[in-house]
Amino acid sequence: MSIKADFQLDAKGLSCPMPIVKTKKAMAELVDGQILEVSATDKGSKADIAAWAESVGHQYIGTVEEDAVLKHYIRKCAQESANEKTFESTIELEQIVGRDGLILDVREEAEFAFGHIEGAKSIPMGELEGRLSELDKEREIYVICRTGTRSDLAAQKLVANGFTKVYNVLPGMTSWTGELIKTI
Amino acid sequence: MSNKVAIIASNGGLFDAYKVFNIATAAAASDKEVAIFFTFEGLNLIHKQGMNALPMPAGAEHFAEGFAKANVPAIPQLVEMAQELGVKFIACQMTMDVMGLTVEDFVDGIEVGGAVTFLEFAKDAAPSLTF
Repeated sequence: MSIKADFQLDAKGLSCPMPIVKTKKAMAELVDGQILEVSATDKGSKADIAAWAESVGHQYIGTVEEDAVLKHYIRKCAQESANEKTFESTIELEQIVGRDGLILDVREEAEFAFGHIEGAKSIPMGELEGRLSELDKEREIYVICRTGTRSDLAAQKLVANGFTKVYNVLPGMTSWTGELIKTI
Repeated sequence: MSNKVAIIASNGGLFDAYKVFNIATAAAASDKEVAIFFTFEGLNLIHKQGMNALPMPAGAEHFAEGFAKANVPAIPQLVEMAQELGVKFIACQMTMDVMGLTVEDFVDGIEVGGAVTFLEFAKDAAPSLTF
């Protein structure tokens, strides 16, 4: 399947350090939270892109290989991402396992594709408002993202739209140690 | 963590150039502040004519084909990219005097300085690399 990205960068045929240099330049065009797809044929780019993202503070989501082309997915992160969480109804990650509610994953599609909790439903934060009708108001909803920041905002949005059984899952997928389902 | 990478380029071959400029551009692309001190034969790497025809090590000439096949960028292209990414080039004044070179012999935008100029930059850099 193809993975949704906001921007595509073609770095095929280029050797080190060009994929990194091009990625850096392309990243400047993205706004926070958007996803860049980098296509490269340099086999070293897999380790390099991950190390580069780690070094400059962006989120390396993952890499898929199709016909000798490596597609890397990176999500742009602001330097100061220590946003305050204000939604009061929270639930710990361990407590949602085996509970009879819906796990709503509000990360981007690419992040979801590279690993999510079994049974979780994917609605990226930016699409939530338009897709509220897919959710059941009678059922408990555990909103999860990577660290608990986007899910905090999503939970507030749900409550503002008449949902009452809403919990923000803390910490978030970064602390999930259970099985990860991939759809790539 | 230090945000500076300090590089000394003291050799003038094609392999040396790739080592220097690949590390420098990769570091600059990772938001590091990078300075390269070009000294002795290293000055070749930013010499307007010299950088277009850097020698391969003796016996390694057959790698030319590999460079073409791997689509490795040419050195002048890497030099331009490094400067565009904000890598600072410092040419060694003493070597220039010995070799009879002036700032006009080099690519635009370089600084000329002595050992202390580089040491001042490098004092809190990590890593410091020599090629």
